[in-house]
Amino acid sequence: MKTLVLGLGNPILTDDSVGFRVIQGLRAKFSRPNLTLMESSASGLTLLDLIAGYDKVIFIDAIQNEGGQAGKMYRLNTENLSGTCHLASSHGINLATALELGKRLEIALPQQIIIFAIEVVDVNTFSERCTPEVEKAIPLAVSMVAEELSGG
Amino acid sequence: MRRITIDPITRLEGHGKIEIFLDDAGEVANTYFQVPELRGFEKFSEGRPAEELPQITQRICGVCPEAHHMASTKALDNLFHIDPPSPAKKLRELLYSAFYVTDHTTHFYILGGPDFVMGPDAPVAERNILGVIAKVGLELGGAVIKTRMQNHHIIHVLGGRAVHPVFGLPGGVSKGLNEEEIKEVQQIARDSVEFGKLSLKVFDDIVLKNKEYVDMIVSDAYTHRTYYMGLVDENNQVNFYDGKVRVVDPDGKEFAKYAPKEYLDHVAEHVEPWSYAKFPFLKNVGWKGFVDGKDSGVFRVAPLARLNAADGMATPLAQEAYEKMYSTLGGKPVHHTLAMHWARLIELLYAAERLLELSQDPEITSTNIRTIPTAVPDEGIGIVEAPRGTLTHHYVTDERGVIKKANLIVATVNNAAAVNMSINKAAKALIKPGKEITEGLLNRIEMAWRPYDLCLACATHNLPGHPLLPIEVYDSKGKLIKRFS
Repeated sequence: MKTLVLGLGNPILTDDSVGFRVIQGLRAKFSRPNLTLMESSASGLTLLDLIAGYDKVIFIDAIQNEGGQAGKMYRLNTENLSGTCHLASSHGINLATALELGKRLEIALPQQIIIFAIEVVDVNTFSERCTPEVEKAIPLAVSMVAEELSGG
Repeated sequence: MRRITIDPITRLEGHGKIEIFLDDAGEVANTYFQVPELRGFEKFSEGRPAEELPQITQRICGVCPEAHHMASTKALDNLFHIDPPSPAKKLRELLYSAFYVTDHTTHFYILGGPDFVMGPDAPVAERNILGVIAKVGLELGGAVIKTRMQNHHIIHVLGGRAVHPVFGLPGGVSKGLNEEEIKEVQQIARDSVEFGKLSLKVFDDIVLKNKEYVDMIVSDAYTHRTYYMGLVDENNQVNFYDGKVRVVDPDGKEFAKYAPKEYLDHVAEHVEPWSYAKFPFLKNVGWKGFVDGKDSGVFRVAPLARLNAADGMATPLAQEAYEKMYSTLGGKPVHHTLAMHWARLIELLYAAERLLELSQDPEITSTNIRTIPTAVPDEGIGIVEAPRGTLTHHYVTDERGVIKKANLIVATVNNAAAVNMSINKAAKALIKPGKEITEGLLNRIEMAWRPYDLCLACATHNLPGHPLLPIEVYDSKGKLIKRFS
């Protein structure tokens, strides 16, 4: 099974880098054939280009919920992803719409899509570091994704 | 006073909100378009080698990284006092043209087009690309995807990566094109020219042949008489990559033409207490508030502004389309905001034609792609036309090339005052006492700013449960009476 783990975000906007950081963590201790680990700042239609041809995709993205606890991790599917940073928005199209478009245009899309979202605090300040609570959550996020990969 | 907030503005990169305040009679008293601002770029870039900035600044925006990359690269040429060899400039413009094809395609088919193809009052669930392909045909959907993919491929080949190119260097570029690669680029360019022609035909069939839409485009609700700004080449024709900044007045007469390094003599920024965004205006006219006309320093940028600020297009098919637009809409300049969609498609065709021209240029496969800088760096300014308007990067360094100061005027911000005016005017024209505030009505207000292709806060996409920008309507007591998100 061809699997893609795609960390989404912006590496220079504080907590928005969390998806990238988790990918870097996975890369340090996880490698196997048919597994691709990738960082991207893309969204919408460009995501469609990136995930085409894989059987399974795991997205890692930042999320902000009202009153959410910083560093908390959520496991979501495509039906309940509207709150995440990069999957909900784009240059005009969200992931659900992009997937539906892909289906109608008969693009080879993954059978299985899972989203890990990490509750973040600040995505508006230029910095290469996450805020402390989010920073602390990264190792746990790495092991949760690793577990998902071993199990699946 | 009643208050309306549009939150999220659907189909917008970044986040913010639109608030509409009603008076006791139910008329629009005032409107505010608020955008959050990313913080700390200056501090973040201080102390870094200037050569890193083409890589760093393209991270600022998830939508137009190539524009920041190019403005930054040109600022570095200026900073290191170096003129790149001609093939390097052509390769940069080639990559940039491919980027324009992808970006303008995305805007028209995903953001701007659905309002016209599906109609402004169609439910949100249908007013999107899926509705468009259901109506126009799967084939067109396939062409949109293919055009984007092929042109991303060109960026990938030259920049080493599909999204954030590692390409521009002070004095040149990191990679050229070989004979085999250029053949592929030529084929993609030919396909893109056909796609550009097809897109103008789609616009003609769906928008121009529908009297209701043409009436809407030229209606007063979507019209502002402002100054216009855009880069032009030595023939005063539109150029995205290089040239002088030209400004025309509301009558279409040249008001200013200047080299990038003179930008501070011409543009100043106005600050409002209610907004994080600054409002650039023409210094030599002055800030007179959010008002139209020759006495107001408000100017506009982006596709229609570029066409207004120039004397024409540098490629034949785009020039033909340019002439058709102005003859249809009653001559130059065109002040109708909704005509920006048309102008964008003319630019799409121009970008494709320019891509083809450059790919057939005898110099394009040259290996003379860089001049190594030797001068001591001090200060550099680079200006390009981002798809969303004039984009300025300005750096000051020490003698080692370490950044001391960095200032960016991002494309969207130039339009900030005009966007406020556009929303205000549309809201006043459309919201009337006793008339129900429907989703379709609020969408028609959104249509006043959607042509600007805003990329606010350049552009993180973080919102609690909502993708985009909300509209809220408040009554004269400050009570929320309508929310559209």
